[in-house]
Amino acid sequence: MSAPQIPNLNTLRRGGGGTRGRLRGRGGGPQTGSQDQVVQGTDNDAGVSRLSAVRLGYLDDPYAPALTQPGAETRRLPIINRGTYVRTTVIDTLVRSFLDRVPATSRKQIISLGAGTDTRIFRLLSSASQPPAQNLVYHEIDFAVNTAAKIKFIRASPLLQRALGADAAISAAGDALHSGAYHIHPLDLRSLKKGAKEEGERASGEDATTSALHEVDPTLPTLVISECCLVYLSPGEAADVVGYLAETLFGGSGEASPPPLGLILYEPIRPDDAFGRTMVSNLASRGIQLPTLHKYATLEAQRRRLQEHGFHAGQAAADVDFLWERWVDEAEKERVAGLEMLDEMEEWRLLARHYCVAWGWREGTTGGQTTGAFDGWREMEGQKDG
Amino acid sequence: MSDLDRAIAQLRACRLIPETQVRELCYKARELLIEEGNVVCVDAPVTICGDIHGQFHDLMELFRVGGDVPDTNYLFMGDFVDRGFYSLESFLLLLCLKVRYPDRMTLIRGNHESRQITTVYGFYDECIRKYGSANVWRYCCEVFDYLALGAVVLGASSELEPSGPSPMMNDATQSTMAMENGGLETEVLNSRGEVTMSTYRGRQRSSSDASTDSRNISPPRDISTVPGQTPLRSGPLGTGASGNGAASTASRTGAILCVHGGLSPLIDTVDKIRLIDRKQEVPHEGAMCDLLWSDPDEIDGWGLSPRGAGFLFGGDIVKQFNYKNDLSLVARAHQLVMEGYKEMFDGGIVTVWSAPNYCYRCGNVAAILELGEDTSAGGTVARSNGDYARSNGLLSNKPGVRSPGRRYRVFEAAAQDTRGMPAKKPVADYFL
Repeated sequence: MSAPQIPNLNTLRRGGGGTRGRLRGRGGGPQTGSQDQVVQGTDNDAGVSRLSAVRLGYLDDPYAPALTQPGAETRRLPIINRGTYVRTTVIDTLVRSFLDRVPATSRKQIISLGAGTDTRIFRLLSSASQPPAQNLVYHEIDFAVNTAAKIKFIRASPLLQRALGADAAISAAGDALHSGAYHIHPLDLRSLKKGAKEEGERASGEDATTSALHEVDPTLPTLVISECCLVYLSPGEAADVVGYLAETLFGGSGEASPPPLGLILYEPIRPDDAFGRTMVSNLASRGIQLPTLHKYATLEAQRRRLQEHGFHAGQAAADVDFLWERWVDEAEKERVAGLEMLDEMEEWRLLARHYCVAWGWREGTTGGQTTGAFDGWREMEGQKDG
Repeated sequence: MSDLDRAIAQLRACRLIPETQVRELCYKARELLIEEGNVVCVDAPVTICGDIHGQFHDLMELFRVGGDVPDTNYLFMGDFVDRGFYSLESFLLLLCLKVRYPDRMTLIRGNHESRQITTVYGFYDECIRKYGSANVWRYCCEVFDYLALGAVVLGASSELEPSGPSPMMNDATQSTMAMENGGLETEVLNSRGEVTMSTYRGRQRSSSDASTDSRNISPPRDISTVPGQTPLRSGPLGTGASGNGAASTASRTGAILCVHGGLSPLIDTVDKIRLIDRKQEVPHEGAMCDLLWSDPDEIDGWGLSPRGAGFLFGGDIVKQFNYKNDLSLVARAHQLVMEGYKEMFDGGIVTVWSAPNYCYRCGNVAAILELGEDTSAGGTVARSNGDYARSNGLLSNKPGVRSPGRRYRVFEAAAQDTRGMPAKKPVADYFL
């Protein structure tokens, strides 16, 4: 029963045919410029997934169509839609808890790293089901390419403009936006620490970074969100970004003690099993590197990371599989499960176990007052094991 | 060369055949399938395969590992289409082979062989993309409606035959061993098609062994992690013969039921499967739906399936069903198994998964299950009638119904860049 006439495709697996070399040339090497472009492109992918989940009824987000590349609309697979649903609703829950705990009359702040075309601010400002966020200042930081693209979307959409209100001013270059409640900062996160250093050396003068983040109030209760963002930086750079925010920007100055600060991370994990290895190699073949993935490879490592950055009041993490099982109530699960036939149970669990949400916070005071901004997070169930 | 042979050659090269030829092929296939009962009888030896899901290059790999048609007698347990990029090429090739070698190729229906599922999971879109209309999709769906719901394998040996040379091994490594009753052997093939690991475990275990092993038997990927398997051979087959070779002890294994998903609370005998009116779209509920959608699980009795169709069923259900029907094994597919196959419930049921690196994303290996032919009765097929006392104390079967010898061949995905064969660079979705 030998079958010699069937070509052995596996002889091509190693040792590199012509196409291999080409791919290696593209994927390998620390070509930072093209690497950045690839990372910037991941936002489009996330946007398409979001729109797919909205169209099918997983998420209620009237702003998704206006913030997705026209013509890019695709129906994603049910497991991707469910994952997008879990990720979005879990982060929404954490955000909503923060907003609810700070009195409506007090100002509070959210900083979203690598926000891309994220719709959260629009949903918060005009939430139909819940009272719109009061006294919230929302900052988004991303590459200028991405902020310019987002501002273009905003300019093209009366719906988005209505949500923002009338006071938005856009920079001449079209890549920065400032309004009372919403700021878009065109900024490479890796420049934050460098900028801070230069500022210290010069001791005065207008520095690019400080002017870019000028509108951030270092005394307000603040929530920082990294939704699949820091994972694209090197471990050193990622730690510098969080370190800059936690210690420098929100480290307190003079007589003012540091404000409450929370961090939400959404990232892939578990790169070392068969699925994880395949994920790393598949993404690498698209030129996408995840440099911190191995450093923060487990839930335990994510919790330790939060602890090490000074989020001493609490640290928790859970994978998406756990979050679907435990955070989504039965009625909602039934609703979501009824949207599409999800035949891929094993694949869903595999995929969902390779993404996690981690959250940590520290106490603090604003204007001498303790707000308990993150008290609600104490009730949020994390996953115990690694 | 007949048109059919030409079509086979073309499809083997991953090139589609014209729409008119697809229509003709589907018509012939239907004429053939309409004659088959809901439960097809298949004589051992046979090689049982699980989900393919349009992973054409991996299907070619499967044929390399398991032997070509018609040299090898194949039974595919459904889910030929959806998810992969080559559902058309894969299904049409299998269908051509079915028409060309009807007695050497058995195809049964999976839950993806359905109009509703294929519109969600890719096959419909693929047909539109590749043929410009839904015609071919319609022809294929009409074939789906005629596919059998299950198969019963008769005359399987409780011994493992000397492994015929694995198709990829050179002659020097040919095995000459015979396995013990109900033996289980796994061959793991590396990317060059060489057997890198071969493990063998006899079924002769004390009852205490059987009870500690009652959950499932994990496929041995790593020699050191599998307790209680002796003797152990690493390296090419035949270098560590261990069987007693006593042909007289190998006989009368129970039949093996093959079905895509699993059992149904509405079906307590194989004969009840035969009563179903199968020539229709897969219904949302009922016996036919359950056979294609259900999963075994570590529960007692029946449970609700998280898939939204079919049921979960426990080891007690399998045990009763096998006992009542003189079955020694239920072979099914339907669930991704990272190691390619997974036995549960004292070996009363096995999941066989034949799509390596499923969806180009999951990182799993695949397996096929080879059942040898029982030659002890002079080649005639004999179903168990309970005459034989059991020697190994397994509780799952009627005394006298022996487990079949099972050889799993485990293989990896074909390389993604394939010379001379069109291969789209797969892009798997992740959350970015």
